Amino acid sequence: MLQLINLTKTYPTPQGPLHVLDGIDLHLAPGESLALMGESGSGKSTLLHLAAGLDTPDRGDVLLEGQSIAALSEPRRAELRRQRLGLVFQQFHLVPSLSVADNLTLQARLAGREDVDWAQHLLARLGLAGLNDRYPEQLSGGQQQRLAIGRALAARPRLLLADEPTGNLDEAAADQVLDLLRELIEESGCALLLVTHSVRVAGPLDRCLHLQRGRLAEAGP
Amino acid sequence: MMPGIGNTGLLRTTWLTLFSHYRRHPGQLAMLLLGLWVASALWSGVQAINASARDSYARAEALFSASLDSVTRRDNQPLSLEDYLALRRAGMPVSPLVEGELSLSGETTLRVIGIDPLTLPGESSLARQQSDASALRDWILPPYRARIAPEQAKAARDDPRLPPLEADPNLPPGTLVTDIGVAQRLLNVETLSRLVVAPGRALDLPPYLVRQLAAALASPGQLTDSFHLNLTAMGLLALIVGLFIVHAALGLALEQRLGMLRTLRALGVPGRTLVIALALELLAFGLLGAVLGIVSGVGLARLLLPDVAASLDALYDTDVASNLALPWYYWLGGLAVTLGGLFSAGLGMLWRASRLDILALGKAQAWRARLHRQLRLQVAVGAVLLGIAAWLGWRLGHQPAPQELALGFAMVAALLLGASLWLPSLLAGGLGLLSRRLHSRPHLQWALADLQLQLPRLQLPMMALLLALSANLGVGSMVGGFRLTFLDWLDQRLLADLYVRPSEVQHADVVAWLEGQDEVQVLLEARHAEAPLLNVEGQDTGRSLALFGITPAPVMRQSWPLLESATDREAAWQALAAGDAVFINEQLARRDGLAPGDTLRLRGPQGVVTPTIAAIYPDYGNPRGEAVLPASRLADQFAAPPGSLGVVLSPLPSRDVTRIQAALGERFGLSGDAVVDQRAVKHTATEVFERTFAITQALNALTLAVAGLALLTTLLAQAGARRAQLAPLWALGVSRRQLVGLQFGQLVSAAAGTALLAVPLGIGLAWALVSVINVAAFGWRLPLHVFPGQVAMTIVLAVVVAGLAALLPAWRLWRVPPRQLLQEFAAA
Repeated sequence: MLQLINLTKTYPTPQGPLHVLDGIDLHLAPGESLALMGESGSGKSTLLHLAAGLDTPDRGDVLLEGQSIAALSEPRRAELRRQRLGLVFQQFHLVPSLSVADNLTLQARLAGREDVDWAQHLLARLGLAGLNDRYPEQLSGGQQQRLAIGRALAARPRLLLADEPTGNLDEAAADQVLDLLRELIEESGCALLLVTHSVRVAGPLDRCLHLQRGRLAEAGP
Repeated sequence: MMPGIGNTGLLRTTWLTLFSHYRRHPGQLAMLLLGLWVASALWSGVQAINASARDSYARAEALFSASLDSVTRRDNQPLSLEDYLALRRAGMPVSPLVEGELSLSGETTLRVIGIDPLTLPGESSLARQQSDASALRDWILPPYRARIAPEQAKAARDDPRLPPLEADPNLPPGTLVTDIGVAQRLLNVETLSRLVVAPGRALDLPPYLVRQLAAALASPGQLTDSFHLNLTAMGLLALIVGLFIVHAALGLALEQRLGMLRTLRALGVPGRTLVIALALELLAFGLLGAVLGIVSGVGLARLLLPDVAASLDALYDTDVASNLALPWYYWLGGLAVTLGGLFSAGLGMLWRASRLDILALGKAQAWRARLHRQLRLQVAVGAVLLGIAAWLGWRLGHQPAPQELALGFAMVAALLLGASLWLPSLLAGGLGLLSRRLHSRPHLQWALADLQLQLPRLQLPMMALLLALSANLGVGSMVGGFRLTFLDWLDQRLLADLYVRPSEVQHADVVAWLEGQDEVQVLLEARHAEAPLLNVEGQDTGRSLALFGITPAPVMRQSWPLLESATDREAAWQALAAGDAVFINEQLARRDGLAPGDTLRLRGPQGVVTPTIAAIYPDYGNPRGEAVLPASRLADQFAAPPGSLGVVLSPLPSRDVTRIQAALGERFGLSGDAVVDQRAVKHTATEVFERTFAITQALNALTLAVAGLALLTTLLAQAGARRAQLAPLWALGVSRRQLVGLQFGQLVSAAAGTALLAVPLGIGLAWALVSVINVAAFGWRLPLHVFPGQVAMTIVLAVVVAGLAALLPAWRLWRVPPRQLLQEFAAA
């Protein structure tokens, strides 16, 4: 599904170049869920951005279903994100001027494959049924993050990339969102790459990797 | 498939998502459309007036009589049929023409022109139209035919006196052309008004006839160019101020949608699609704004055109139709200017959207960091523009030859734009300075610091306010100064209590009778003539000069204003009275670079006359060059017929203007236009003056209103965000009343600061208008007047406009329930 090959990313800083990612190799199988852990500033988000085609590596390649992302033009990378990926952010990034229903189907509509039944199912599963006409600002933080997950899944992506999806939620809401995320991942059959610094969040996933000083290591039990 | 272009579903969803912002923020949409509407309406209104007037001028210029030389009697009496026949018998290719006014039922008056199609020179458009034999037969045989301007066709159709009518869109408004015999019957005359001849055809005229070259007469279009240019400049100012609103609205919408744009990019919308969607959004707004604006502009023009037409008639003696005549390019031009203005205002938005940093999700306010860099750039560009304005001002101020109007307007534009670009930095600097001095007043210190934070959003409406205020002060000073100078000049020039215009036959008798009246102190005889102007080699320049004969009596010597003389005022008058000198008006001096001591070369009936220029006098409102000499000399050297008589009455208690007026009527049958009271002349002149500037002042007031709207809409658009900033202060214990007061005070002080800059800018603008624009446009310079009352009014206006704009947002803040402020605080 997703393959990162010798991925390297360096940022210039006043103190000299900062090697955020240093030859990362990673493989994620279809339907597999993987947690990527690490301290703040360890390069987790950078890795996720490179995997999503939001940024380009200095060296190495990202293969999504065998297709190299790094070599694609910006519009092609955008198309690939639209058609095959789902993104969930810590800050939700919902569109404040769209209703709950419109936010949920936004990416599906952008991808040109809106499925009304699937969207209704998602709304019900996410506990947002009956809130169709509300706007994000009228939802709680947990509801907003569930809506963001629904938006990512409504387009039936092959791979879901989630960046600290529960970072802004309290424990109870976070547990609820994670349970729901796992259930929906299983239901839809898509793979998941989740970035977190929390062992509690990473625990239930199929595999867990640790990112340290730009390199990957299998996380201990 | 081309990504981003071919995928219409993607584009449509992107566009709808972007537009959803305005569904949630209808105030911003209203502000945007309002700006576009106002900008487009004022611009389109002015252009509709200009287009209609130009259509009338084009029709007047296309009329056969405007392109032909005229032959008239030197004594201004009508020509007889014998005069005409004598010239034809001598082989001269002249054609007779009768011209006069005919009143129809109601208030319609027609200018009737009678022609002889058989002899009319073939170069004219009307002659060409009659070249077909059957048309010619219809024209010269009963029941005859007449061509009429379409505007009057309906009103004239039922008049039994008129022959069958054909509407002719090429004729100027209010004109009817028919066979000369029909015209004489309609006008009840047997004489001819003038003879016409093709330019360039040689004529050997007897001395009592004079030829007036068509080329020597300025066309209506030329005469009124400056008037329309000034109108266009005011329209442009309104357009720019309106576009400030649009720019502010677009900037605000972009700022609030940055997060949305980045999310869309993250969800797979290519940058190009995003820019196309934003451009399509602009296009939709532009089309809507243009349609609304053009429709309103046409309505505005329809309202103003009758007044403008009356002013142009009074000022330049031009006929402008009171109905709008708009060519196809007017509509296209209105659309193009609105869309062009919108895209120039939105270019920054599109540029920023195209360079959006996709990884800056959640950093919607990062642009604030660029504020200082932006201010520095604005100051640098402003300095360059002010430098250009200063250089142009110096160059134009020291240029004796005719000045270029376009350069004058470029100077004004550079001055206004440069000062506008400096405004935010000056305000920021002033606020910073004040803020440091207010340590002990935390409320005020917070208010000033907060106002500094608001400057990025407020800078555009404040710049619009600065432009409107300085235009108000500048144009107000110019008009006020002009009024003062003009009225003063009228007093100096209109010395006589009564102006009498007897016929040539009566002239000597009227003079004798008036001289016999005890009340009459002095008679000021005036004469008028035209003479071809020659160059230094004695060759014809193709231009003719208006000659004005006056009586250089002591009363006139004392009051007639002179701008410049060769030696001193008394010597100049002595030279004039002695008979070897003339005075010339400022227009002629500037146009031809003439100064006291130079010599004029004029062709008179008895040969070349070369008077010395003794002085230059102001001649406000006259579009032509003119020379003044004693009336007696004008009669001798240029065969000028007797003209009007100015009657100056003795300052006795028994003086009675009405009695003299009545006696002249009784004894000589002089009434109406033939005997005019000085007060009536002054009244008419003042009325024409006020009407001329009424439209300028109306546009000025509208521009100020637009600037107020810009401020109001900006405040309304950011009201939500402002509440979030004010809520923490409320939570810290500042009452809502205090918050409203602080907000009010913030805006009023920003407006007052803007007004302080508007004062020198307005005075600079007034100087540019009177010393550069006026000289370039009309050929005469006005003294610069600064009225302290107007300066104070500018500051008061700024405070009032800001206060009015702040009223609605303040009222809304006042009515926000504490619960909502609590929510804003929690979200802040």
